[in-house]
Amino acid sequence: MAKRIAEEEGATREKLVKLGKQLVAEIDKGQSPSFVSPLRGKSNVLHHEKEGFLYLGDKKETRTFLNVAQAKKFMQTIAVAAKCKKFKDENLHTSIRGLFYQLKFTLGEDIEEELFEEQTESNDLVEDLEVSLSVKREDLNLNTDRKGVVAGPMKVVDKFAGTENLIDCTKQGRSGWMIPSDVDNGMEFIDVDADYVLVIEKDAMWQRLNEDRFWQKENCIIVTPKGQASRGCRRLIRKLADQKLPIYCFMDCDAWGWYIYWTIKTGSMNLAYLGEDIATPEARFIGVTMGDLERYDFLKKLTIRAKEVDIKRAEEMLGYPWIAQHEEWVKELKTVIELKKKLEQDALQGPRLTFVGEYLREKMKKKEFLP
Amino acid sequence: MTEEKKPEAKAKTETKPEAKAKTEAKVEAKAETKRVESGEIFEEFREHSVAEFFKKNRQMLGFAGKVRSMTTLVHEFVTNSLDACEEAKILPNIYVKIDEMENGHYKLYVEDNGPGIPKQYVGKALGQMLAGTKFHRFIQQRGQQGIGAAGGVMFAQITTGKPAHARSGTGDGKVYECDISVDLKNNQPKISNMVDFPGNYRGLTVTAEFSEVKYDKSEYAPFEYLKATALANPHSQITIVEPNGERTVFARASNEIPKRPTPAQPHPLGVTTDDMINYAHHSKERKLSSFLTQNFARVSDAKVDEIKQLCPGTNFDKMPRELKWEEAEAIVKAFKQIKWIAPSADPLRPIGKNQIEKALKNVLVPEFISVSERSPKVYRGGVPFLVEVGIAYGGKSGHSTKDGGVGLDVKRFANRAPLLFDAGGCATMEAVKTIDWNRYGLKNVDQMPITLYMNVVSVFIPYTGAGKQAITAEEEVVEELRYAVMEVARDLERYLSGKIRDEQRETRKKAIMRYVKQLAGDLPYLSGESNDKDIEKKLLSMIEHKYSKIFEKTRLTADEEKQQQKERDEEIEE
Repeated sequence: MAKRIAEEEGATREKLVKLGKQLVAEIDKGQSPSFVSPLRGKSNVLHHEKEGFLYLGDKKETRTFLNVAQAKKFMQTIAVAAKCKKFKDENLHTSIRGLFYQLKFTLGEDIEEELFEEQTESNDLVEDLEVSLSVKREDLNLNTDRKGVVAGPMKVVDKFAGTENLIDCTKQGRSGWMIPSDVDNGMEFIDVDADYVLVIEKDAMWQRLNEDRFWQKENCIIVTPKGQASRGCRRLIRKLADQKLPIYCFMDCDAWGWYIYWTIKTGSMNLAYLGEDIATPEARFIGVTMGDLERYDFLKKLTIRAKEVDIKRAEEMLGYPWIAQHEEWVKELKTVIELKKKLEQDALQGPRLTFVGEYLREKMKKKEFLP
Repeated sequence: MTEEKKPEAKAKTETKPEAKAKTEAKVEAKAETKRVESGEIFEEFREHSVAEFFKKNRQMLGFAGKVRSMTTLVHEFVTNSLDACEEAKILPNIYVKIDEMENGHYKLYVEDNGPGIPKQYVGKALGQMLAGTKFHRFIQQRGQQGIGAAGGVMFAQITTGKPAHARSGTGDGKVYECDISVDLKNNQPKISNMVDFPGNYRGLTVTAEFSEVKYDKSEYAPFEYLKATALANPHSQITIVEPNGERTVFARASNEIPKRPTPAQPHPLGVTTDDMINYAHHSKERKLSSFLTQNFARVSDAKVDEIKQLCPGTNFDKMPRELKWEEAEAIVKAFKQIKWIAPSADPLRPIGKNQIEKALKNVLVPEFISVSERSPKVYRGGVPFLVEVGIAYGGKSGHSTKDGGVGLDVKRFANRAPLLFDAGGCATMEAVKTIDWNRYGLKNVDQMPITLYMNVVSVFIPYTGAGKQAITAEEEVVEELRYAVMEVARDLERYLSGKIRDEQRETRKKAIMRYVKQLAGDLPYLSGESNDKDIEKKLLSMIEHKYSKIFEKTRLTADEEKQQQKERDEEIEE
């Protein structure tokens, strides 16, 4: 597993060319050209116990052209690779959907078959290419949807489309700075002058805290992934953690909130191939928790019935070794299962709207986090 | 045994022949009944002429049902020609033309290049029933009933009232033409309008007009009959022009004229009551006892004494022609109780593997042929026979099914003569029915273009009835046929599995081929090396090599075979 940092200028392009040369060499030797990539299935996802993130194991998959079952996929993979090299050469970016449309054409006048019929086919191969070449899709000039907003004391140097823009995240008003798809290539984060990063599950809560200028009062960076964190958002959190900022996650106390947290912390099964580059094991869970019910009496009345899915998810989480190893989480999850209750972060606005800030400050002070 | 059928069946035969003629299927289904009828045929010889008898009982000689009658007519004339050619060592060229006339009658025209008939014999050859030489000769015959061409002439006469027309020459520069009919009362030929003229024609041409016949293209019809005849006689060239003008040539596949079968006396174990009556009534011997020793192989005076002991009610000093059905039956039964020296297998004349292959290739243009090669066996404890089974796959093999597809076609022959009728009770079908086709990967044999060619060769074919259209399912014969069918089925299986493998390879090859252009275009760009033409060429040659047909390769070594099997297994798993 290779540590992927921001692409050095031209590194991804070099990798693509190297792949091409290797295949041409195989053909010259009369061998079937083959493409090797780590297996992305669940069976090959491992948990790094010491560091605390998910990554891909050693299982590999070989795709070779002269095997009828693999020929098409092989040819498609190379078509994707060639197209990505073109994007690099042209210094243009697109989405995986844009790539799909670039590759959706018939294979020949007399062939009733298209290179790609469905976007899912090309999406899959983009991931194969990422894994195989040890690059991120953003390195291949493929953007993902932007999702997530930031505010706080930091600046971004964004070299884009031949321009260079300096963005001050303290001056983004009510909307904040939207996290782009790629925070590595052509992006530089400077003057990061915060004490910690607060990741807030819901956009509404972020807006509440932004209105309170919580980031200014607390000298922190507030980030909302707006639900599940996008790759760019996760990558940004990772980069901020790399700058030695503590990461605190403020989520609902329910299945979805936990899931978002653990994805940020350990990475997800689907993106296990990105390994530690997209995981932030240092992240802590600040709330809300079942334990809060004891500390804040009013919350007891503001719980809602846990849904089937919440209970099930809690039970599942007890089964994950990387969660079960933390007795705090075991206690938390068992309480949920027992009480069949859940708690939303919005409930903290019960007494007054500004209570959220008070709650966070107090938690921070007491260092009451779940690992 | 059919011989044991008794008088109650006989009584049935006295119903109106016309009624029976209408119910051809019924008559055919009751092959056993017919056996008794044929016994009766010869009893009646004493009172009526053969011709008279024929007139009344024509259905028993194959003139039952309009289509079957047509086929029988073609059969009689064509067989006549084939035999004549064979005897004269001539490669037969036979031309058959059938015209439908405006009044619904049909005109049949059969021309051959045989030796021709000397003028003085033409009457006897075409205008007298049972006058041919074949009837009394104990050789491996094409299986006709002995009524021959004269039967056809008579059929014309009784259905249209018109004589047949013959034209013949022996190649001596003289040709004659005449009209021929049969004096039904006396079974004597009537010749009229004889014309002589100079000419080099050698052969016989018979033209006759018939009604109560019908031409169609069913499996019982003349076309199929001639096709089958061509299959059994690769040395012949047969042309048929159908009423719609369509002309089909079953071209000669071989220049090898079959060897004449050597005459052989019947062996007691191969004789039916029917045969016994037949032979006895035509015997020139004065005593039944001498008839037995003179006409049958391995019958000595000592054996006759044994027979006498077993048949106390029969006078062995009487004229053979006075032999009654019951007595003949008793003698045949006695034959079976006596130990005999087995008959000689020498007279067997198989068509031969090579010839059958040529015939199948020629007529069916199949993809694959396999023909069994088996040695003679004996049935009924001593009658020698041998079977020849061929299988043809693809091309024109198989026959059309009702749903428009093609299915298994069984072409049955007895001593080269096609058997078109009474398939149900035939030993050949019995053998085919009991084959477990699944074992040979031929599960859907009813939907595959397969022709099974089955020829039973014997001096004494155990026909089920007088129509001689089916072979009795003698255990040994059926068993032998089964083995032969299994032998060729195995070969076909081997071919098909190879073919299926080739088809799979071909499909795979094509599947990969369609991706070559795209890949060959992308790689030079991706790598910055090489060019698309070069890569395309190399990829194509790799694919060609990997997915080439196995049959096109030189023989694989055991290791290569193993490797290929492994690759196939892997691909299947994927």
